Amino acid sequence: MAQDTGTLEASATLSERVEEHQVGPCRLLTLHSPVEDVVSIRGSFIAQPDFGGGEELIQDLTVSLLDKGTRKHDRFAIADLLENRGAQLRFSSDGLRVRFSGRALRKDLPDVLEVLGEQLMEPLFDEEEFVKAKVQQAAALRHALENTGAQASGALSRLLYSEAHPNYIRPADAELSRLEEISADQIRAYHARHFGSNDFILVLAGDVDADNAARVVQERFSAWPKHEATPPFDIQASPQSTDRIEVFMPDKSNIDVRMGHPLSVLRTDPDYLRLYVGNYILGGNFSARLMATVRDEMGLTYGIHSALSGITSLYMGNWSVSVTLSQGTVERGTEATLAQMARFVQEGVTAAELDEKKTTITGSYKVGLGTTGGLAATLLHHAEQGFDVGYIDRYPAEINALKLDEVNEAIRKHFHADQVRIALAGTL
Amino acid sequence: MEITTSPKSVTIGDLPAGISFVEASGGVEEYRLESNGLQILLLQQAVAPVATFMVTYRVGSRNETAGLTGATHILEHMMFKGTERYNKRKGTSVFNVLQRVGAQVNATTWYDRTNYYELLPSEHLALALEIEADRMRGVLLDRDDLESERTVILNEFDRGENEPIRNLYHAVWSTAFFAHPYRHPTIGWRSDIETVTEEGLRHFYDTYYWPNNATVSIIGSFDREEVLRLIVQKFGAIPPSPEPIPEVYTREPVQRGERRVQVKQAGQLGAVIVAYKSPSALEPDTDALDVLSVILASGKSSRLYRRLTDTGLTTSVSASTSRLRDPGLFYVFALLSPESTHAGVEEAILEEIRLVQENGVTEAELQRAKNQLKAQEAFGRDGSFSVAAQLNEAIAAGDWKLYTTYMDRIARVTLDDVQGVARTYCVDVSRTVGHYIPTQGA
Repeated sequence: MAQDTGTLEASATLSERVEEHQVGPCRLLTLHSPVEDVVSIRGSFIAQPDFGGGEELIQDLTVSLLDKGTRKHDRFAIADLLENRGAQLRFSSDGLRVRFSGRALRKDLPDVLEVLGEQLMEPLFDEEEFVKAKVQQAAALRHALENTGAQASGALSRLLYSEAHPNYIRPADAELSRLEEISADQIRAYHARHFGSNDFILVLAGDVDADNAARVVQERFSAWPKHEATPPFDIQASPQSTDRIEVFMPDKSNIDVRMGHPLSVLRTDPDYLRLYVGNYILGGNFSARLMATVRDEMGLTYGIHSALSGITSLYMGNWSVSVTLSQGTVERGTEATLAQMARFVQEGVTAAELDEKKTTITGSYKVGLGTTGGLAATLLHHAEQGFDVGYIDRYPAEINALKLDEVNEAIRKHFHADQVRIALAGTL
Repeated sequence: MEITTSPKSVTIGDLPAGISFVEASGGVEEYRLESNGLQILLLQQAVAPVATFMVTYRVGSRNETAGLTGATHILEHMMFKGTERYNKRKGTSVFNVLQRVGAQVNATTWYDRTNYYELLPSEHLALALEIEADRMRGVLLDRDDLESERTVILNEFDRGENEPIRNLYHAVWSTAFFAHPYRHPTIGWRSDIETVTEEGLRHFYDTYYWPNNATVSIIGSFDREEVLRLIVQKFGAIPPSPEPIPEVYTREPVQRGERRVQVKQAGQLGAVIVAYKSPSALEPDTDALDVLSVILASGKSSRLYRRLTDTGLTTSVSASTSRLRDPGLFYVFALLSPESTHAGVEEAILEEIRLVQENGVTEAELQRAKNQLKAQEAFGRDGSFSVAAQLNEAIAAGDWKLYTTYMDRIARVTLDDVQGVARTYCVDVSRTVGHYIPTQGA
């Protein structure tokens, strides 16, 4: 039977449909998909703050000012330009990178990319806007102070990393004090020193024409120079000797618990996917061991999962387990979780579990590519990690090729239940 | 097969026996399973080889009574404990079987509906149909399962209690509604969660979980005839409810004066909600209130963003209309910045509403709001799950075509309509104001 809308280009692999252009300093990836009118925009570049010197907060503030006006258009003119078209552009700061994401209707894409270029290259950094941005940043830090999840995650990061590591999260109350001292000149200087087309990637997915997009990108971004900032950062974690930390917070009957230890792998390490799938069997989804036991059998938690956190192709991260526990079940829930982690490390996983999670991971990967946003985000993620375009098709094949003994060997080698640090936040 | 949108001129060939075509709108086709009245909605999107299968039951916390608050939500959890065929003891739990093939599977409960969904590679659609048909009448509701799940839900409850803003939201609804069940949170009151029995849940299940109180939706890449045949095969033998599905007759009495509520809880920054009684989802006035929401608080061009967030009085401000089956709330929500006061922010919100009442809005504002909503609708069609989520709310509101005709409805909204709804609904006597006041805690 004929399909009603669009056509599936079933004969071509995804990577064959991706067009890659090096447009000046920009690595442009476009993927046309048969969705009407809609284009999803994702991209990033490396800013490389000096983590040890506390520049991440300055980067956060700088990023928050990108949509507050440019030298050509004030903040309201830009808002009008985007909002009248129903378009969006958002910026975020994540470790080494500054990212942006957005959406536009097909006809508006050139105008939206024009705005993006202005915002990245010619931000206004108006003094009044700077003062307001500090107030907003202070509010965000204060909201983090009342969130048990943020407090527990921050505390665990400080047990695992040094200040010079991109995964270290500085205490929100100390950041509030530091925020007071930051000046608008520091923001301008940071932009001048750290914003540039270093590893600049732009992905467009949806109702997009690759050649037109390349022309627009050439016009808007070809003159963007690279910056020369290369402050050092720690690649490996530096776990502290303390193995447990409790953050008391009043009026919080749910306790957030984070457990974990450092991992000595990069995203490009052959052991990464073995650990990824192994960990998925422990706590990757609803039918994984942790949910099946600590939630389903024991009724101790609403949510528990485990992950490989903060691992990129440039720096290493950690194994982490997150669980929420009501007052009165904290010790039992923590012990039950640790017992599952210990059993997992000691016994490894079974062939049946591995087979099951292979189909889970490859199936959900396919599902995730079902929207233009999902396609663009996946292409960007792979590009940031240094993979070529073909990886979008190779990834499921690499998952399927994993062997049981490789996975179990990687689990034994990298996961250590006796080295787990624990951070808890709530009314303990 | 050819289907047109006018029921009188429909040409249908080769529909499986037992399926009748009802109507079509905006690419969505409605069918009916003749044996039991199950409503079927199909929307083909061949963008990617995936599809979303969803069952929406027209039951939510709106249907709960005192002592049984939260029952719909607990039942939603228990539906994952399984049936004779799909259960953990056999190693065939719903999550195990579906997640094995890469499905994103979950369920949600809200005031007017409960929905179960699977977003999965299209070749596994039959499995999702099989499981949803099986648990429509076959859930086990075992006592031990309920006891272990009860503590899970109590932890979910505690997670919510951690959040002052959520507590403020609940306080505003509970204050604005005296009689209508929208007054209690969908998760229920703690004491009801602690004490509900499997008999109470069984009663709920046996009253509402029937094909004639449900809609199945399939969105994405699929073969129409094949899925209709599968629906006949899997759902066809389920009987309709032995009794009519009970109606909710309670109407909220007219509010005769402003109500105010405070939530004091440990935290950092305050919040304000200004809420007004609003009409039900299908009323045209609700469309004008949606436009008013956008003009007031959507994006940096909006009035309240400029008045409050741009001036540093709030860190964010939003406005929304609840669009529920029964009359609900139109509300403005503001998160305070460290230097501002509740009274100052509340007064600014009231003044901006007053300005709309007195002077209306501009043509440029109206057009911008319509453009934003139009783009939102286009982006909302990007992916089968996004469509399913919107269709789900339209089904719950009482007419799935609210989804497909939404942009036509918005296009009809005029300047006078926007000013009119501000004058009609945003009145002092039907206002409920909520303040979250952070404390230092114990």
